[in-house]
Amino acid sequence: MSRSLKQVAVLLVALLCLDPHGRVGSAPICAHGPSGCHVPSLADLFDRVIQHSARMHSLSNDLHSEFEQYFLPSKNHIGKIYRKCHTSNILTPNGKENAQKLAREELTEVILKLLMAWRDPLFQLHQSMADQQDFNSFSSNKALEMGDMAHELRKGVEKVAEKMRVLGMLGNSVTGLSAAEAMLPLSESGEAMSDYELLYCFRRDSNKVQNYLKILKCRIVPEHDC
Amino acid sequence: MRNSGAVLILSFIAKLISQAAGVSAPGKPRLTSCRSPEKETFTCWWEPGDDGGLPTTYALYYHLENSETIYECPDYRTAGDNSCFFNKNDTSLWVNYNITVVATNALGKNISDPVEVDVAYIVQPNTPENVTAVVVDEDQGPFVRVSWEKPRTADTRSGWITLQYQLRVKQKKDKEWEEYDAGMQKYYNVFSLHPDKEFMVQVRCKPDHGFWSEWTQTTYVKMPDYIPRERSLWIMITIFSVFIVLILTWTLNVKRNSVKLCLLPPVPGPKIKGFDKQLLKSGKSEEVFNSLVIQGFPPTIDYDDLLVEYLEVYDNEEQELVLDSKDLSEDCMKSKSPSDCDSGRGSCDSRTLLLEKCMVGREGSRSDQHQYSQHGETSWASTESSECQGLEPGSPEFSDGRVKTWPVVFSSPQPHHHYQVEAVKPVYHSVPEILNHSSPHAMPANYQNLQHQDIPQQEGRFGKPACRHSQSYTHGLDTPAPGVSPSRSLEYVEVQRINPENMLLLRPLSDQNREPEGSDYAGEDYSKVKELTSNNILLLQRDTSYQCADGYSQAGQCTTQQPPHPCKPVIYQSHSGMPQEGMRVMGNGYVDTTVLMPSY
Repeated sequence: MSRSLKQVAVLLVALLCLDPHGRVGSAPICAHGPSGCHVPSLADLFDRVIQHSARMHSLSNDLHSEFEQYFLPSKNHIGKIYRKCHTSNILTPNGKENAQKLAREELTEVILKLLMAWRDPLFQLHQSMADQQDFNSFSSNKALEMGDMAHELRKGVEKVAEKMRVLGMLGNSVTGLSAAEAMLPLSESGEAMSDYELLYCFRRDSNKVQNYLKILKCRIVPEHDC
Repeated sequence: MRNSGAVLILSFIAKLISQAAGVSAPGKPRLTSCRSPEKETFTCWWEPGDDGGLPTTYALYYHLENSETIYECPDYRTAGDNSCFFNKNDTSLWVNYNITVVATNALGKNISDPVEVDVAYIVQPNTPENVTAVVVDEDQGPFVRVSWEKPRTADTRSGWITLQYQLRVKQKKDKEWEEYDAGMQKYYNVFSLHPDKEFMVQVRCKPDHGFWSEWTQTTYVKMPDYIPRERSLWIMITIFSVFIVLILTWTLNVKRNSVKLCLLPPVPGPKIKGFDKQLLKSGKSEEVFNSLVIQGFPPTIDYDDLLVEYLEVYDNEEQELVLDSKDLSEDCMKSKSPSDCDSGRGSCDSRTLLLEKCMVGREGSRSDQHQYSQHGETSWASTESSECQGLEPGSPEFSDGRVKTWPVVFSSPQPHHHYQVEAVKPVYHSVPEILNHSSPHAMPANYQNLQHQDIPQQEGRFGKPACRHSQSYTHGLDTPAPGVSPSRSLEYVEVQRINPENMLLLRPLSDQNREPEGSDYAGEDYSKVKELTSNNILLLQRDTSYQCADGYSQAGQCTTQQPPHPCKPVIYQSHSGMPQEGMRVMGNGYVDTTVLMPSY
């Protein structure tokens, strides 16, 4: 009798475990509202996002330096390097005034576009770095981490945008990014960009993202560190 | 073709002429650096090359990446000589500038190497402003609060640029600066500065990705004079000492026993042979003391085994005890200590019985009596003790009383006794012999006293045991007049009376009323007193056949002389002078009737 009970219990437990969607529901933690738990404020969200983008940029900076150190391009190469990045199509403000002239929504959109544009190229970068023997595993790991960070950052910025929209700070002009926005890093000549070029471009774009986020934050929640 | 050839020749000639004149085309200029203070404008500086001796002009040209349009520097003056200032309109971020400088003079021009510049990465802000250092006084002690402001040009308000600050402090005399990172805040508290000293403070800043600014001008601050952290020092000292005390206590506790041993050494317990402490603890005193009782003690006297005791009493002023006996000399020597006389008569306790006889001499004793008397058993110990102690130089208790009386009775002018012991056989000078001779004379005056003092129970019996009196002979005393036996007889004499002249009149114990005259019952161990000479010398009579052969003095024969033999008669001599019997009083005249017993 007890043995059969045991078996039944084991079966139940197995069923529960095997059903990932059954029990592991994504019930919101703060179901009871603000009093239940601490909901991060917009300022906190911005802080987190900005920190994330800072880390991402430092990673890209490190990788770029490593590249330059070990694979120091010749002068000619430098000249060639500065081909257009694939994200040059995205109109980004290149000055403070220009950035401040943009509306919040546009700025947010620019950020999101940039981050989206780099999703696949970063994956490619990691792949090519891992394949090549020249890079040590540390560098390829960095590239992988960078790609993950970009992905996380994009998610974070989307959450921030969502929050802003909820708070009424953002109009509804911010449209979701469609798959068409994602571009492949093809240069004008149609050649795939090299790793160094990718790194160079990404370093710049991550710097842009960080800067835009800071501007956005100080425009929306100016009390913190602004 | 001819034209070109002519041109070439002309140019060549011109060059030669110019070289001869010392002028040439300008050297190559070099772009040294480009910097942007706020990420909105930037400036580039170049270094001119050799000007070639001719006035040279410099021009900066740039083009943006992926664009072929070449622009010239918009502003050569704002930033000073050999510089080019790009204002906000001309500055684009995240775009590469390809900049070259061209030097031109009459003879030619020269182009510098191109430099790629991305303004976003060449940001070097201006120095922070309004650095103030204030001393703030608090409970823990004063500290310095340094505060500053951001450089005016940097726009951190809009978030366009974020700066982080750093400050450094040092005393004037110090070589090294001490640097502190202040992060993004605009103040910093510096602690642990030395009192009564002046400090220099400087601040600088840096953007997220850029270069450090220059250090600000030095700001001076003087620390006030105060006593630093006295309390904490005392607290530390207290804790340390408490810790030490705890360790010591613990160590002492651990070594408790050894410390106790060191400080309070154990008192040695009594070691009595045959004494069982356990029995004592158990409370059965009977058994304890029973164990002390030695069976057969005092042993019966085996005169054969006894060593010879010759009692030689010298009428000597010096108080020296000479021991002739070879057997006992060692022992005597050993025990010859004044402190050893707790048994009265010259330390005749059970242990040193043998030696005591020599002790009789009581070397160093000041008393005048070295008398051996045979005491009753009960009085023996007391007498001995009294005798001995009294005779000791330092014992005041017995200086009077009994001991004192002794001299009365047995006083002899010569405090010395000369004892010679022969290990042949015990020789006893039977006092009865003395008595025989002395009876007609006056008894010692203090007979009474004598009786009083030490001999409560028995009349003084004086035998002449070998140098010691001990239990042995007391036992012998108990046996009534045992001394008649020829082989070993301990004949004791008792004081019959003391005549007024302080003479002891002795008579043998065995026969109270017997006239100890001429009787020779002492046997070989005793010598009869033959007569008393006028010089207070007791002449003893010995068996000629035996005793004299053994060297015993014979009263009859070895008379009137200081017999060197140990079997000297003990002669009593009163202080006031003995009656002129033919007795020679030796020392205190006390004949130790102690039988020489084998030591236990």
